[in-house]
Amino acid sequence: MALVLIGLNHRTAPVNVRERLSVPEAKLPEVVRSLHAIEGVDGAALVSTCNRVEAIISSRTEDVITKVVDWLAMQGGSDRESLENHLYILRHVDVVKHLCRVASGLDSMIIGEPQIGGQVRSAFQAAQDLGALDGLLQQVYAQTMRVAKRVRTDTALGEHAVSIPFAAVELAKKIFGDLKGLQVLLLGAGEMGELTAEHLHKQSVKQVFVANRSFNRAVELAERFHGSAVQFDSIEENLATCDIVIASTAAPHYVIEPDQVRRALDARRNRNLFLIDLSVPRNINPDVAGIEGAYLYNVDDLQHVADANLELRQHKAKDAEQIVVREVEDFRKRLVAQDAVPTIVELQQRLETIRAAELEKCLRKLGPITAEQRLAIDLLTMQMVNKILHYPILQLKDVSDEPDRESLRNTIRKIFGLRA
Amino acid sequence: MNFDATDTIYIALALYALGTLTVLVSLIGKSMRLQHSALVIMIVGFGVHTMWIGTICARTGHPPITNLPETAAFLSWTIFAVELALWIRYRVYAAAFFVYPLVLLLLVVTAVVGEPFAGLPPELRSTLFTSHILLTILGVAGLMIGLAFTVLANAQDKALRSKQRGRLWEWIPSLNVCKVLSYRSLAIGFSVYTIGLITGVMWSYRTNAGPMDLRVKQVGAVVAWMFFAALLQTYISGGYRGRRTILISAGAFVAIIISIMGIARV
Repeated sequence: MALVLIGLNHRTAPVNVRERLSVPEAKLPEVVRSLHAIEGVDGAALVSTCNRVEAIISSRTEDVITKVVDWLAMQGGSDRESLENHLYILRHVDVVKHLCRVASGLDSMIIGEPQIGGQVRSAFQAAQDLGALDGLLQQVYAQTMRVAKRVRTDTALGEHAVSIPFAAVELAKKIFGDLKGLQVLLLGAGEMGELTAEHLHKQSVKQVFVANRSFNRAVELAERFHGSAVQFDSIEENLATCDIVIASTAAPHYVIEPDQVRRALDARRNRNLFLIDLSVPRNINPDVAGIEGAYLYNVDDLQHVADANLELRQHKAKDAEQIVVREVEDFRKRLVAQDAVPTIVELQQRLETIRAAELEKCLRKLGPITAEQRLAIDLLTMQMVNKILHYPILQLKDVSDEPDRESLRNTIRKIFGLRA
Repeated sequence: MNFDATDTIYIALALYALGTLTVLVSLIGKSMRLQHSALVIMIVGFGVHTMWIGTICARTGHPPITNLPETAAFLSWTIFAVELALWIRYRVYAAAFFVYPLVLLLLVVTAVVGEPFAGLPPELRSTLFTSHILLTILGVAGLMIGLAFTVLANAQDKALRSKQRGRLWEWIPSLNVCKVLSYRSLAIGFSVYTIGLITGVMWSYRTNAGPMDLRVKQVGAVVAWMFFAALLQTYISGGYRGRRTILISAGAFVAIIISIMGIARV
């Protein structure tokens, strides 16, 4: 049984090629059905994200590869030759390794990005729902998701933010833990500030207050976060009630001074205050960082956090790669052992049939013999058959990674006259 | 060689040693898998430790509280029980780096000192005395866990302030969780410990017609109580953080250890 993956990704194909092949979620069942309908395809699944399109198929022959490439070219509305320059074709255990890496986020543009695991799961689940996964692909699916889960659990690969807004959210969690119930104050309407507030809003913070020199703009932004607009002059009052402050104004001077923060912390009964200064020139006096209970991060600090996290992810990716290699090797051994079972069973049945028939003939020729004698002959023939089968079975069960395993199996089948 | 049921303490000790070693290696290798393994080993050790305590209770008819090794073993067991309860509730991994070695250290005291088990003398067979010992030990366990979380809160505060993540960064929960757990453990531990001390004084009055002797154990216990009171006051007043908190915590820890070591025989 051949397992093949044919696809392209952000490294092999530019966006204008990827976008032509990309399949919207709503159309996925129809496209998978059409892939599964190709003659010779036993099982099929299609992973389609903004960075990759990959067809995973199982088939009895490799001849089907050409047909699938043609099918992909047809899907993308391009000619086969130009598409082939962007395609990679993986076989057997390399397919499993690739899928495990993809689902773990190791093959992503940003290492460890968490969405891809869910996207791979959805792709296989869609194929499963359509009945397009055969036994082999079901095993591949289970193994892929198992490895992805193990990588995330054991290495926490995707847990560290690698962008400034996410780094701010990560730090907020390090200070406050659960962000639910917290209040956020956004000062100004800078792009990075908006993005950070949006990420915090997605973490289900209790409320976002927006203060801007232009009150109308503040109202507009507050609506986006289902929050409230406040007057820019009332910053100090809001410092006392808000837990996270994002400063992102175009003001050329400080808008928050240490005394304001001290008074706010007194009013907060020393509950911590996280201040994020995303503006250049800075909006929060850096002396605020020295006040107990106040944690101040400017844009450089957050960039350092993001850079350190990226480095950490790259370090963890090495551990993750090792996990993938070990798991894929285990899977390969299981597959080899599984593939050998029908041949071993047939081989044993075949020789047992010969033994039984020859024994019967021999007994007829011998005439009457005692039960003990019959038992001795029976035992002798059984031992002979077992000894003859010993090395062929050993070879069939050998799970070492040899490329000519299939031909060895076929040779044994041929020698012993088993069905092709 | 005959194996007695009370020898299970050595099995528990070996398991705690292995668990502690594993957790320290996990810190160096930053391996979550090793952390989980350490926890499992410690839980098995805790199970064996529980069997040992059960055996002592069955044989002597009272909890293992009559001498230093017994008390140390019982305190070690209680500290791990509190740590386990907090782990189940909050999934805090970093406390293990402080709690496991402490649990091991206390059981090492038991194994090294190794006094024979004894029944309680008649004058000590009172509910008041047993309550005093049990409450004090439970209180100390809470206070020790509170100290561990105070240290963690301080480490987290320093890391956030310096913008340099330390080795413990990934293992420590949020600053807020550390502070809440520290405060709750200290508050509950302090209350129970105080009641434990009061019952001790009451028992002393009843048996000796006086407040209590002023030996190392008693002085250490009272000094520790004062340190913990000061620590709790810094939390309540919102003055927690920084060098002062750590100094008070260190003083409290030393006083408690002196007090425990001062237990020769009750």
